Amino acid sequence: MKLLQKAAWLTALSALGLTQLTVGASAEFAAKGDPKPAVILFGESNDGGWSQSIDESRKKLESELNLRIPQAEKIPETATAIRPAAELFIDRGANIIIGSAFGYSDTFKELAEQYPETVFINPAGTTNGPNLKSIYGRTYESQYLCGMIAGGLTKSNKIGFVAANPFGLVNWTVNAYLLGARQVNPDAELSVVFTGAWADPVKERAAAEALIEQGVDVLGQHVDTPTVQVVAGEHDVYGTGHHRDLSEFSKATQCSSIWTWDRFLKPEIEKIAAGGFEKAPYGAFLSIKDGLIDVACCGEAVSDELKEKVMAERDAIIAGKHVFAGPLSDREGTVRVKEGEVLSDGDLWSMDWYVDGVSGQ
Amino acid sequence: MTEFLFNWLVNVPAFAVPFALAALGLILSERAGVLNLGAEGFMLAGALAGIGVTINGGPPLAALAGAMLAGMAMGLVFAFLTASLRINHVIAGLALVFFADALTRYIASYAGWTNQAIKGLEPIFLGQDLVVWATPLICLGCVLLLNRTRFGLALRAVGENPAAADAAGIDVTTMRILAILLGTALIGLAGGYLTVAVSKIWTGSVVGGRGWIAIALVIFARWHPWRAVLGAILFGCIEALIPRIAATGADVPRYFLQMPPYLATLAVMIWSATRSSGGGAQPAALGLHHIREDRD
Repeated sequence: MKLLQKAAWLTALSALGLTQLTVGASAEFAAKGDPKPAVILFGESNDGGWSQSIDESRKKLESELNLRIPQAEKIPETATAIRPAAELFIDRGANIIIGSAFGYSDTFKELAEQYPETVFINPAGTTNGPNLKSIYGRTYESQYLCGMIAGGLTKSNKIGFVAANPFGLVNWTVNAYLLGARQVNPDAELSVVFTGAWADPVKERAAAEALIEQGVDVLGQHVDTPTVQVVAGEHDVYGTGHHRDLSEFSKATQCSSIWTWDRFLKPEIEKIAAGGFEKAPYGAFLSIKDGLIDVACCGEAVSDELKEKVMAERDAIIAGKHVFAGPLSDREGTVRVKEGEVLSDGDLWSMDWYVDGVSGQ
Repeated sequence: MTEFLFNWLVNVPAFAVPFALAALGLILSERAGVLNLGAEGFMLAGALAGIGVTINGGPPLAALAGAMLAGMAMGLVFAFLTASLRINHVIAGLALVFFADALTRYIASYAGWTNQAIKGLEPIFLGQDLVVWATPLICLGCVLLLNRTRFGLALRAVGENPAAADAAGIDVTTMRILAILLGTALIGLAGGYLTVAVSKIWTGSVVGGRGWIAIALVIFARWHPWRAVLGAILFGCIEALIPRIAATGADVPRYFLQMPPYLATLAVMIWSATRSSGGGAQPAALGLHHIREDRD
């Protein structure tokens, strides 16, 4: 009942335009009391990929911060599902709500305005505010390092990549993967197959098998299930994973581009507790250095020499090396990054081109 | 080029079989007048059962049998709702899809079956497995059952004119329940085949809308078993072709490749709608309840 009353009160407030006032008053944000985070997961907590990576970080945070962090899983990307989950946690005293989906963006924006004393953090989101921050990783860095492993392991110089949908944050992993491969093997070529679905093991298997038929002997991926790694294992070729360390599903997996949310969230939660929440008007776009992403490396097939090269590049990236540094042209020959420059974040998000050596639609 | 064609064609059956079996199952229940929109849900039940039996040490054939039983178990619920309680077929079917989606995900995560790779069904002849070879026989069985047996005659009568069938002494409710159970056994098998022979792994999204395509296939086939198998082969050709074209690096937009089956479905529907005979092959009492002595 209390919740309903609150909702009715807030609806009345926003109808009068008073929410604007409330937000204005809370521009200087400070969390009230001890940090009490809660996590809302878009997928299943054991999906083997994206949602599981967040849930594993939640468990690590629980022990590291000595907190109990409740979780709700399989909350679809609709306001009618997100809102009750978030409000239940807030009602029980949570003051940091951590989301997990692009589709939560709008509802989190509304909730953040309604609950100005609660911090909202949304991985893969797009909305931001005085108490709302969307975060995503520069996954091209970790996929670049996995690409180096692929370049070093391939004998046919043909590498395959199974990806979900061709847009910015997927295209940058495809391009970075080949750039990494060419760092150790200038003759490497990359064939990419888009399945059109984030988690369709039937299509992922078909794509992986079709690539292996074409002579590919290492398979990278940016889809949500470990099917590609399993198929690689069945055909005695190598693979590299995404989201989590996928070597638990297949002996083929030699490296994985992984999320390490806890390494970012631990200091973030401590900062919020100390009253130092940093606003990010365009969201936080975080790198290996910030602790949000990393590689799980390396499998048994990787030589010490190759591993050292990968770790040296990892150090270089932490020290400031940009994967998309000029001069860089797309496969049609158009210059995309000039000598001495690096690709801007805006151009990364709208990336719709492929570097020379990538084939596929 | 020969190698490309070979690789393509050898992979078509594995993609066509789930569509074909699901469409055949739908035809069996729809010819008895039961509009079945629950295909996606029955496939999910079968897909999960197939994985569950395999992970617990069952051979592939036992897994497929388990898939049929799981499909029938869901079918029993559907039959109770539609044939016994006479709930609207559309609502009952859609509700079952959502129910099956949640239930299978829950069981899979409770039992720890998600993302566990299995060995699966092996090819027996010409690179194809048992179910591929059995599918034409299953289709023949459906044709003979519907057109050459008293049971089939009664089933069709219930779908075309339940009042007349009732007057002729056919138990409409029992016939519809039997048609649903036969149909959902085949749809469950389609789902089981998807996980046991094709993906060889379970995730909650493994059926991925293939049940809905099977429903479109039934309309495409005008409720005829052989045409449904032909349609399934068309869809299978496309599903096997798209990744292979992409893997060669040819610059063909995949969105265009995905269009032909849907264009064909639309074309068939337009063709049948413009024919003078009107409604065509759709069972006359599809989706309608029969209540004895009730005047329409």
